[in-house]
Formats: sequence, structure tokens, C-alpha cells
Amino acid sequence: MAEIAHKLVVNGVSKRFGGRVALDAASLEVAVGSITGVIGPNGSGKSTLFNMVAGALAPDAGSILLDGRDVTRASPARICREGVGRTFQISRVFAEMTVLENLIAVAHGLDDSAAVDRALELLELLEITRLRDCWGAELSYGQRKLAEIARALMMSPTLLLLDEPFAGINPRLQNQIVDYLVRLRERGMTLFFIDHEMRIVLDICDQVYVLAEGRVIAHGRPAEVREDPAVLAAYF
Amino acid sequence: MNSIAFIATAAVAVLILPFVGSEYAISFGVQLLMFTALAYSWNLIGGYAGYTHFGQVAFFGFGAYVGALCMGAGWHWLPAAVAAALGGLVLALPLGFAMLRLKGPFFAIGMFGMARVFENFALGFDGITDGGTGLYLSPVSDMRQIYAAFAVLALGLLVATWRLDNSRLGLQLLAIREDETAAEALGVRTSRLKIGVFAASAIAPAAAGSLYATYLAFIDPATAFAPMTELTTISMVLLGGLGTVFGPLVGVVTMSVINELLWSRFPEIYLMLVGCVILLAIVFMPRGLAGMARRRSLLFPVGREGLRRLVARRSPPGMRTEAALG
Amino acid sequence: MPVLELLVGGVLLGGLYALMACGLNLIFGVMRVVNFAHGEFMAVGALATVSLVGGMHLPFVAALVIVPLLTAALGLLFQLVILRRLVDGPMIMSLLATFAFSTILVNLSILIWGGGYRGLPDVLGGSVQMLGVNVSLSRLVAFAGAMAVSLGVWWFLTATRFGRAIRSVAQAPELATISGISIERMRTFTFALGSAMAGLAGVLLAPAFASDPQLGSRFLIKAFAVIIVGGMGSYPGAMMAAILLGIVEVFGSYVVGPVIGSALLFLIMLAVLLVRPRGLLGVGMRV
Repeated sequence: MAEIAHKLVVNGVSKRFGGRVALDAASLEVAVGSITGVIGPNGSGKSTLFNMVAGALAPDAGSILLDGRDVTRASPARICREGVGRTFQISRVFAEMTVLENLIAVAHGLDDSAAVDRALELLELLEITRLRDCWGAELSYGQRKLAEIARALMMSPTLLLLDEPFAGINPRLQNQIVDYLVRLRERGMTLFFIDHEMRIVLDICDQVYVLAEGRVIAHGRPAEVREDPAVLAAYF
Repeated sequence: MNSIAFIATAAVAVLILPFVGSEYAISFGVQLLMFTALAYSWNLIGGYAGYTHFGQVAFFGFGAYVGALCMGAGWHWLPAAVAAALGGLVLALPLGFAMLRLKGPFFAIGMFGMARVFENFALGFDGITDGGTGLYLSPVSDMRQIYAAFAVLALGLLVATWRLDNSRLGLQLLAIREDETAAEALGVRTSRLKIGVFAASAIAPAAAGSLYATYLAFIDPATAFAPMTELTTISMVLLGGLGTVFGPLVGVVTMSVINELLWSRFPEIYLMLVGCVILLAIVFMPRGLAGMARRRSLLFPVGREGLRRLVARRSPPGMRTEAALG
Repeated sequence: MPVLELLVGGVLLGGLYALMACGLNLIFGVMRVVNFAHGEFMAVGALATVSLVGGMHLPFVAALVIVPLLTAALGLLFQLVILRRLVDGPMIMSLLATFAFSTILVNLSILIWGGGYRGLPDVLGGSVQMLGVNVSLSRLVAFAGAMAVSLGVWWFLTATRFGRAIRSVAQAPELATISGISIERMRTFTFALGSAMAGLAGVLLAPAFASDPQLGSRFLIKAFAVIIVGGMGSYPGAMMAAILLGIVEVFGSYVVGPVIGSALLFLIMLAVLLVRPRGLLGVGMRV
């Protein structure tokens, strides 16, 4: 079988906080144009893993490759410039700015009217055009998630990182987001996310990694993971 | 009222005053314009980028001394003010690089301390500054010249702020204020932006310090680095509305008029009353007059119009109302 | 260089900084408010002591009781009328409010006591011999009093139930709400306590130093330096940094003169801010 092109490769990263091991030599691969999810209970280390990929944390050991380039200790800003967009677990929509302004603020390298065009297009795509002039502070929890996804897409990333995109929102919105993510993949984008909504993760992902106590205990296609005894033991 | 009309009105008022006003009106005008320049400068870093800058008076005092020393060396007051402005900029770049790594209360305390360090230097290096005695300058014959210089400074900053507010640069600064970590992770170049805006916000205060020294024909450390200047400036911005185009101007005018009334009636407890006015403003108008205007009918424009105009041109009419209702 | 004398002088000065800094730190820890008026509480305390002892001929001990109560009442008033409404808002509001309040207090003090220097030359006059160094009695008492109160408050915070509750508010406000501690009450109490500590610092320095209404801002900035060097929110850090900076100031003043000498303190503070913003012993905080 031909070598699959990898958008993102995580090689045996470890991280300790004080005496506690948060991640223990975790590895994963995200194929170009795939949706890859990491699932695991609270405290399994998935947030730590996510933050390392996003550049917010530096691993104690191991390496992270983006398009084959080493970005192990790159800053969040550099990761972003490498064509990676991200959302946050707890919404970080700019509260005193409108949704449109939230999007425009993170656009660089575009002129004003191109930025506005792109922002309007993204609002359209995520069906939140009606929220365009709402202040960030006025948005509901679910609306914030959508606004953040739109904002992350402003710079046309090739890889989109989503930090628990499905947590705490109603099933209708969950399905809606699934829909958007699938559409983004169809446009050639690679998506990587962490969450603990088992149902959706197994539903949407091409590849799933299961974390428990800082280790990858299983990975593969959703159907394989579903039947994996280690996962069953950890989850049920 | 739209922005351009607002700026034009302010400009006309400023232009007319020296020809119709008494000497008293001109001296009031000088103070008003000086605080306008200070408030708009503070608004850049404190209002837009959200860094609570408690050391602007360091640049004001620094500029006052640079200007006074230049004039002492025989320079005309105008090049002296330009030298002070450049000095402020050159000083602010490395200072900003160092201090802006601090956040929140640390930045506030650090810059407050910086202003006091400068004051101590002005007192301590008395070979150059004459210490607490202060430096005396030869008075300028026509105050209207100083008035004009302050007017240029103030209007320049008003226009610059208006331009900033309508630009993406303004939004990026706001993003720093709202959530610097997130902004950085989303690709906003936060460090260079905030150092740049910090340095830009030091230019006018330094120039204003020099012009103020010229105006008084005197400068000493207590005048140059007066905490009251700092307090009044910040309060004016807050009263008008942080991070807005016209808030600072409204704040400056409102507070100047109130202060002038208090000064004329109760000179002996004037400063105390100013403190009380500031407290009342903070407690009862935390969002500033602009914040209130945004929520109610538009008494004066609240800005960020350029973007909206750009959007309005691209989307079908009626959408805005729909969004406002929905 | 009279090293020993300077060292003793520095330590004694540091004691007063410690008391100031501990009050500031306490308020910052519990309320997340940088109290720019803290120095003025001290100045008011010092000037009131001069009036009570020098003017009304009350014993110094009486001032030790009356003045802290007075400044505590002043702090209580400010907290209840103004600060209470601002602490949960943006930081700039509370900063500016305490800044404005400090201006009010300075000018009120000038109105009451005039702008000049006042002292209590007859109280605790004389000196004692210590480590072969002549130490003025008033400075020794100021140091001892300041240390006793600082340590006493520390004991209160670590050993009593109420004190521990206050510390839990400082460490995790969210948890305190859950466990049923009234944050509002803690904050009010803390601000009053901090104000009383500042007032007491004023009483203690009145016999040792000349006081004027501007005294507050000169001391405040040094107390800021202390809590930044020691670490905002860290009680032991503040006490150590206070002594350290007292020594630096006294030596610096001896070498380069008093004005630049006290600027040295700020330069140390700035250096610490840049190298280790959380201070030598500070608790990390997200701001």
C-alpha cells in the first residue's frame, strides 16, 4: 500500500505536571483530508495533547510534525501561520466585538474588502449570517462554538483543530456541526479534534484514537475501535 | 450625527476660539486641547489594546524636560517639541518591549513605578534639571501659537483614532484587549502591535509635555510628573468611553467644564472634588458616555462605521434590522 | 562605609515596608484590587497620630488603638460606598477608584494638616545600644511594632478559622462561594483590616520620621516594589522582600544620595518584573 500523506504526526510525546504524568509517549497520525478524533475520559490527557499540537504547551519528550516539518516547540502564533486554525474548549469569542468583527480581526494578508467577503462567506457557510452584527457577549453557548469555527476558518487553514466542539450543546446543533465538518473535509481540509461524545466521534471520524491515563490504548477506524476490548474495558 | 460632521464641528470650534475668545478662553482651550491629546494617546494603549497604562505621565514629564533643555540651549519651542516627541518615541520602544510582557495589575504598577523613577531622576540629577527648583524658560509672546500647536496635536490624534477605529488594525488591538492569548493563537501579531501602539501613544504626551513647559515658561518635577495629570487623563477616557473614537473627546470636554466650574467656585478643595467627580463617574458610568449612547439613541457616533459601510454595500438591505431584532 | 549601621538602619526601615506591603498584599489577594490609596491611609494615620499625641497630649499607646480604628473606618466607608460595586468589574475601574480616592485623601490631609512636615520629636526620644550601633528608640519601636503586627496577622490568617476562610477566598474565589463563605463579608473585612494595618504603620512611623500628606505616595511605591519583588499574594515573600529592599534603599541612599537611592528600589522592582513577573515567592496568577 502506498504511503499515506500525513498532515500531522505526533511521535511519542510525554508531559508531566509536577509528579503527575499527563501524557505517556502518545503517538498519532492524521492523514491529509481526514477527520481524526481523539476520545478519552476526563483526565485522560487529551486536552494536554491538543494543547501541544496547538503550540500552547511544549512536550517534555517526543516530537510533533506538521506537513513533515518539526513544530514541536513552535509557539501558537507560529502554528497558526503554518496554516492551522483552532477553536477553544471554553469559548474565547471576543466579547466586545461583533461576530463579523471577530472574524475580520484575525484576518491578515487580505485587504479590507477581501476580508469582509471571506467573513461573510464563512458566516453563510455556517448559517450564522443573522448573527453578523451581534456582540460576542450576546451569543449563546452554541452560537459561540459556531462563531469560533468561522473565525478559525478565516485564514483558510489546511488543518483545523477543534477543542471539544460537541461538548455541552444540544443534539440538533451537534448534528449541524457534524454536517459542517463533513462539508469542510469535502473541500479538502484536514480536521483534528478531541471530544468525549462517543456517539459523534465514532459517527464522523475516519480515524479514532482512544486515550486513557495518558496513553493511546486503541486506534483505528470507528468500527474497529468500537469492538476493541481495551476500549470496552475503559469505557463500559 | 456622523463621524465626519463630528470631527468637522470640533475642528471649527477649535479654529474659531482664538479669534473670538478672551485670554481666559484661550488658556482654557490650551488645557482642553492638551488633555484631548493626552486622552486620545492613552485611549490607544489603554482603550483599544486594553493595557492599563498608569505611567503616561512619565512620557509627558520626559518630554517636558527634553523640550525645556532644548529651549534652554536656545532652540525655538517648535523644534523643541518635535525633539521631545521623537525622544518620547525612542524611549517608548525599548520600554514597551520590556514592560509589555507584564499584564494587568503588573503592567499598571510597573508603569506607575516607571513614572516615579523618572520623577526621582528629574529630582536627583539636579546638575541638569535643577532638581526641585525647576527650570525657568523665557515666555512665549503669543499664546495663540502654543494653542495652535496643541490644536494640531489634538486634531491629529482625533483623526488618527478615527482612521484606526475604521481599520483592521483597530480590531486587532481590540482583540488583544479582549483576549490576548486567543488573539495570538489565531495569528494576530500581538507583540509588535502592542509595542507599536505603546510607542505611538508616547509621542503626543512627550510633545504635549514640551508645549506645556513652554506654555508655563517653567517646569519642575512635581508639575512634569503630577499623578493628577495621569488620573485626570484616564478618567476622561473612561468617562467618555474606552476604546471609542469620540468618547475621549466627550469625556475631556465634560470633565474639563466640570473641573473649571469647581475650580472657579471652590479653589481650595478643588482637587478633592475632582477626585469625587471621578469616583462618581466610575461608579455610575462604568461604560462611559459612549457605552450609554451605544445602547440608547445615538447622541454621538460610536464608530467602527467603515467596516459596517463596507458590509452594507455587500449585503441586501434590511438585513441589519433583521439581525438587530433576531 | 559604616556597614553595620547601614544594615541595622535598612532592616528597621524594612519592617515598616513589611507592614505596608502585607496590608496591600492581603487586599490584593482577596479582592484582586491594587490599592493605590494604601499609602494615604498610612499618611492619614501618621498625621492623626501627630495631632492626637502632639496636639491633644494623649499617650502614644492611645494612638496605637484609636488611629487604626479610624483608618479602618475610613477603609470600610470606601469599600461599602464605592469599591464593593467595582471589584467584579474590569480591573481598571477599581484601580482608578483607589487612585482617585488617594487624591481625595491627600488633599483632605492638606486641608486638615497643611502641606508641611510634622513630627513627634518628644515621643520615644533617645537611643539604645545594639550590636555596637546606636539605634534610635523610635525606629526600634516602629520596627518591633510593625513586625509584631505583620506576624500577628499572618498567624491569624493561618491559624484561625476565619483567617483560613479569608485565605481560601484569596486562593479560589469560586470554591469559597460554593462552600458558603460570604465573599462580600470577607472582602469588606479584609479591606478594613488592610486599612487598619496601614493606619498602624502610620502611627509607628510618626515618632521616627517627619510626616506630611505626600508621605503616602512615597511609601506606596516602595510597598509596590516590595510586593512585586516578594511576589504578589505571598505573605512570607513580602516580609523578606521588605527587609531586603529596606537594606538596598539605605545602602543606595548612602552611596548615591537619597533621591536616586530610592529610585534604585524601583529599578530592582522592574528587573524582577521582567525576569520573574510573579515575584520571588509569588503565587502564579492569570490576569
